[in-house]
Amino acid sequence: MRLRWGKNNIAFMVLFLVVVAIGIWIENQYYLQVMTFIGINTLLALGLNMLMGYAGQISLGHAAFYGLGAYTSAILSVHYNVCPWLALLGAVLTVSLIAFVIGMPTLKLSGYYLGMGTLGFGMVVHVLFREWSTLTGGASGFVGIPPLELGPISFLSIRNYFYLVWFILLASMVICRRLIDSRIGRALRSIHDSEHAARAVGVDTENLKLMIFVFSAAMSAVAGFLYAHFVSFISPGSFGFLASIRMVTMVVIGGMASIWGALLGASLLTLLPEWLHAFADYEMVVYGAVLMLVMILLPQGLTRGLMDIYERSRK
Amino acid sequence: MSDRENNPELSFLRIDNVSKTFGGVQAAQDISFKVSRENIVGLIGPNGAGKTTLFNLITGVYTPDNGKIFFGQAEIQGRKISTLVKMGIARTFQNVELFENMTVVENVMVGQHVRTMCGFWGAVLRLPGMLREEKQSRIDALDLLEFVGLENVADRRSSELPFGWQRLLEIARAMASKPKMLLLDEPAAGLNAVETAHLAELLVKIRALGITLLLVEHDMSLTMEISDRIVVLDQGRLLAHGTPREVQQDEAVMTAYLGKA
Repeated sequence: MRLRWGKNNIAFMVLFLVVVAIGIWIENQYYLQVMTFIGINTLLALGLNMLMGYAGQISLGHAAFYGLGAYTSAILSVHYNVCPWLALLGAVLTVSLIAFVIGMPTLKLSGYYLGMGTLGFGMVVHVLFREWSTLTGGASGFVGIPPLELGPISFLSIRNYFYLVWFILLASMVICRRLIDSRIGRALRSIHDSEHAARAVGVDTENLKLMIFVFSAAMSAVAGFLYAHFVSFISPGSFGFLASIRMVTMVVIGGMASIWGALLGASLLTLLPEWLHAFADYEMVVYGAVLMLVMILLPQGLTRGLMDIYERSRK
Repeated sequence: MSDRENNPELSFLRIDNVSKTFGGVQAAQDISFKVSRENIVGLIGPNGAGKTTLFNLITGVYTPDNGKIFFGQAEIQGRKISTLVKMGIARTFQNVELFENMTVVENVMVGQHVRTMCGFWGAVLRLPGMLREEKQSRIDALDLLEFVGLENVADRRSSELPFGWQRLLEIARAMASKPKMLLLDEPAAGLNAVETAHLAELLVKIRALGITLLLVEHDMSLTMEISDRIVVLDQGRLLAHGTPREVQQDEAVMTAYLGKA
């Protein structure tokens, strides 16, 4: 256990240095922008992985929390002139409360039924974004979300925004790692392996599932906040069913129950469309084919798969 | 284990006219008996006699339709399972149910869940109290593994263990909640003779710690050998209750097991 903590600390340090180095050396605005999106998506995948990979509870409606975070922050800062950082707090609290209320009945379900329940929730929220146009701008979207600034630092600069996103992400990764390596994390993993036995040894599975659901939703809300103030324009399309599925795909492709899996999965799914522009009309076909190939060749996801390949090559 | 000794009544289980019906099938019918502390009580009966139902009633998986269950002074029917575990009732399963993707020692540490405190913020902020608890938790878990004889495989994945060891691990996990009463559902099923003998020794050792044991078991020689009391069920009803010797000579029991003469 001690050894694993040590390894993880080193890995986090390396990632930190890589992030700093990228910020210093890379001048290309487009690369920095893509990297920022990778950060936001990793945050999403990380939150969902806590729920799916560790606690074993599926959610097919997580983009709703992402969207609720984005819209709450946008509405607060534009319609009510709230300082964006307070709007972040408002968004996280609102989304946590909604996740709590939704999670209470929904998490009594499991397996396919939980999938359907969360799917329904995601669709309802998506319709809300589209139809409540006085507040959300409706289908044409919400424009003019103010950029972030912190004292003298303006996050209008893509480089600064890149740093902001990745530092928040790194902090979240450390928080998740600590949570997993604790009593709470063990209880979560026990639910994943056998909910029946977890309950029998005294784990309050209902409460714990609700807690991790809220936590995971709150992380999505932070990602939503970061997204909204980065692109300054949001529309319902970014938070629909497909966005939820994309989040699930990131988790599965990257590797369930793995913090680094979230990073790999989110990177691949963010980069692929960028790389595949060359295929023009066939973009989606190639995209799908790549995902299928990964799943066929590395069914445990990228993290496990790459580790297995590495170990095999050493022998 | 000293807090247990200070409270002699607390490990006293009383089943009082308990009934449970499943869609017209009387799985338990007016069952009443008492269990004294620090006894090994064998629960026997033919298939479908209602042994597992009774287990699930005591451990809070089911709520009885009628009747009461007392643990110490407290009425426990209908309470949350986690509350019952906290009160001191632990169990194992007929088909071993371990946390397969976790290591052996982690399985035992999950068993300590109700005896440890660390919550969300403690874990995230790595508070000193949490680190101390975590360290102690691991030491206690390793002690328990030594107690059942699995200290050498503490960091293996639990699914890699041979079946007999998985049974022992499940017992260690149940013991981790510091129970006053331990319910074992067919602990010898699937074990060979050597393993069964080791199990018998272990159960007697557990009783010596002041823990009351209630076990469902098909292995008659094991049950009769180590039990202080035997409870016989048949078709959801209590057939007999007494020492192994009394039960073996009971006419109703002989009829149920051997058929009418």
